[in-house]
Amino acid sequence: MSMKMFSVIKREFVSRVRSKGFIIGTAILPLLMVVLLIVPILLSTLNSEKERKFVIIDYSNQVFSPLVAVLDDTTKEGKPMYTLLKKETELTGYQKLKSGLAQQVLDGDISGYMVIPKDVLADDSSMSRKKVMFYAKNVSNFNLMRTLETAVSEVVRTIRLQKSGFDPVTVKRLTRGVRLETFKVAMSGEEKKDQGFTFGVTYALVMILYMAMLLYGATITRSVVEEKNTRVIEMIVSSVKPFQLMTGKILGVGAVGLLQFLIWAVFMLLVSAYRVQVGQIFGAGPATMMGVPSLPLNVILFFVLFFVLGFLFFSTMYAAVGAMVNSDQEAQQMQMPVIVFLIVPIIMIVYIIGNPDSTVAVILSMIPFFSPIIMFMRVSVLMPPVWEVALSILILILSILAMIWLTGKIYRVGILMYGKRPTLPELIKWIRYS
Amino acid sequence: MNALTVTGISKSFGSFCAVKDLSMTIPEGQIYGLLGPNGAGKTTTIRMIMGIILPDGGTIKIFDQRNSIDVLDRVGYLPEERGLYKKMKVGDVLHFFGELKGMKKAFISSQIDYWLKKFELSAWKEKKVEDLSRGMQQKLQIIVTIMHEPKLIILDEPFTGLDPVNTNLVKDVILDLKQKGTTIIFSTHLMEQVEKLCDSILLIDKGKSVLQGDLHQVKSRFSHDRIKLQYSGDAKFLKENPAIEKYDDYGNYVEIRLKDGENPQKLLRDFVKVAEVYRFEIVEPSLNEIFIETVKSEN
Repeated sequence: MSMKMFSVIKREFVSRVRSKGFIIGTAILPLLMVVLLIVPILLSTLNSEKERKFVIIDYSNQVFSPLVAVLDDTTKEGKPMYTLLKKETELTGYQKLKSGLAQQVLDGDISGYMVIPKDVLADDSSMSRKKVMFYAKNVSNFNLMRTLETAVSEVVRTIRLQKSGFDPVTVKRLTRGVRLETFKVAMSGEEKKDQGFTFGVTYALVMILYMAMLLYGATITRSVVEEKNTRVIEMIVSSVKPFQLMTGKILGVGAVGLLQFLIWAVFMLLVSAYRVQVGQIFGAGPATMMGVPSLPLNVILFFVLFFVLGFLFFSTMYAAVGAMVNSDQEAQQMQMPVIVFLIVPIIMIVYIIGNPDSTVAVILSMIPFFSPIIMFMRVSVLMPPVWEVALSILILILSILAMIWLTGKIYRVGILMYGKRPTLPELIKWIRYS
Repeated sequence: MNALTVTGISKSFGSFCAVKDLSMTIPEGQIYGLLGPNGAGKTTTIRMIMGIILPDGGTIKIFDQRNSIDVLDRVGYLPEERGLYKKMKVGDVLHFFGELKGMKKAFISSQIDYWLKKFELSAWKEKKVEDLSRGMQQKLQIIVTIMHEPKLIILDEPFTGLDPVNTNLVKDVILDLKQKGTTIIFSTHLMEQVEKLCDSILLIDKGKSVLQGDLHQVKSRFSHDRIKLQYSGDAKFLKENPAIEKYDDYGNYVEIRLKDGENPQKLLRDFVKVAEVYRFEIVEPSLNEIFIETVKSEN
């Protein structure tokens, strides 16, 4: 590698790594991961921490006591989470009662009040559910509403069953359903509990792979167009061979992407390895965090490898696109055919993850236009035979070399051409010309 | 040794012939003007010299060597269409181009400081290129062209976009470089600059060389037959003198055109005998006139 090509690589690398876009882009993914992992945990602890006081107006006269028994959750400090107060109903009129309680809610003396109608226990022929009214300042706390609904339903159901002569415990026992528990068969033969985790992780990683190739490819195009538009190219090609310039550009931008991927990979490995400790920082118990499975090392390695190979393959096309056009707008149009190749695997993502060893998946993972993403999906879901992975990578590497040779020729002619976009026959002439 | 030897180069784009059988020889240490109307093929010629495009035929030698990238490291080139990386800092841009020309790190730094100071841009070293005015960007690009101390410098329209003060500054720098033995080619259609600076010229039109040589020789070739005369006395002798082709009386002075082969010195001696001569000047045509005349007669 010549010193001049190194200068080109260095310029592309340094000017991009220093940019705000890179720093923000690199930080945003780990932040998003933390947010997705931690926020639900944080929220659940936040919610349950609060002690609440409710007033119950029980016209049926039977629900209150069992309800107190059911709503017996406690806070961390061991205090009861819900305090229920029974309001006698005979003393005053219903409307007056309600307005008095509403004032108490507004003043913050109580969190809310519930009205249980008399007929809530009635066994009439209607199948529709009886209504219980709940009044509070904020009724959009989904968890709390569901807790209350479940609790009152439980109490009402139990009383009705008893009244009709059934034993609620027996009924409950007999009517329980089943739960589908899924396991993933791994290479080592060990069975691991896997509840949609593989799907979720593969999906997320594939999307990152796709976005990264798309964005870094577009960066290459923009970089080529910039040199063309500012005519810097004239000064450069009298010092560097066009081929060296293109290769330098691809390697420089590629190094930026690789750095970003390595930062992400290290972050993912660390979070994955220290997930219990990470959880503790945010107050989640070890049990919760152990439920989050770790990311396998080989998946992360393939993630980085297929980014590098896929980027190299597509970047040559993006460079050629940049050389063919005169403006960023034109470039966006001309990128479409390249983007289609990237989108196909994304459209097929659900199918491939579901059928990683189907004929379609195997064939697509051998075609270099699709293999970087498709083969990564397959590796992530179900490790294919080693020879398939090796063949796919070999084909991809040979295709990269062929693409560099072909697009290098288009690039060489294109960077000095201004004006009309070349037609396909003209493009073929360019390739022959050089 | 010649700084540049171009022998019979041609270049066509499709059916359009941009440069046809063009030759030129530029000795070391000269300032050489490459002149021609718009679209004459000046820029195409320069691009071929810089190896940006390949000629269809002919040879180009720089310091007696083929114009390979290694040789071109000793050449500085200011393209006609200007532009630099807009988002990069001034100092970083200069560093990058210095590296591309194969300069050593320490030399790059000292050259950057020297030239930024010379062009009054030192305060802008850490600013982005896009923050500079057009004239400042132009000066920055001239620094890019000359900072690696090339032995041959090619400037395509170096003065466009510069105010009179900066034009003078750049002109002084060019003359300075010439003093140090640098060969300078510059392409322009501003004849005034060429007359002030150039030793030799090449006038091209429609891709062909139409006039070439030492500036004074070229001018004297066109100047032999015109005389400006101021006198008092009888105008009769003007009408009767057989050496005069024709004359125009402008009131303050008379412009005389001699017949081919007549000697102006002899005419002066004849005049002095019959009239009071205040001013007798053999007029050098301006390069502008030569340019227009030559291009017109070619068509």
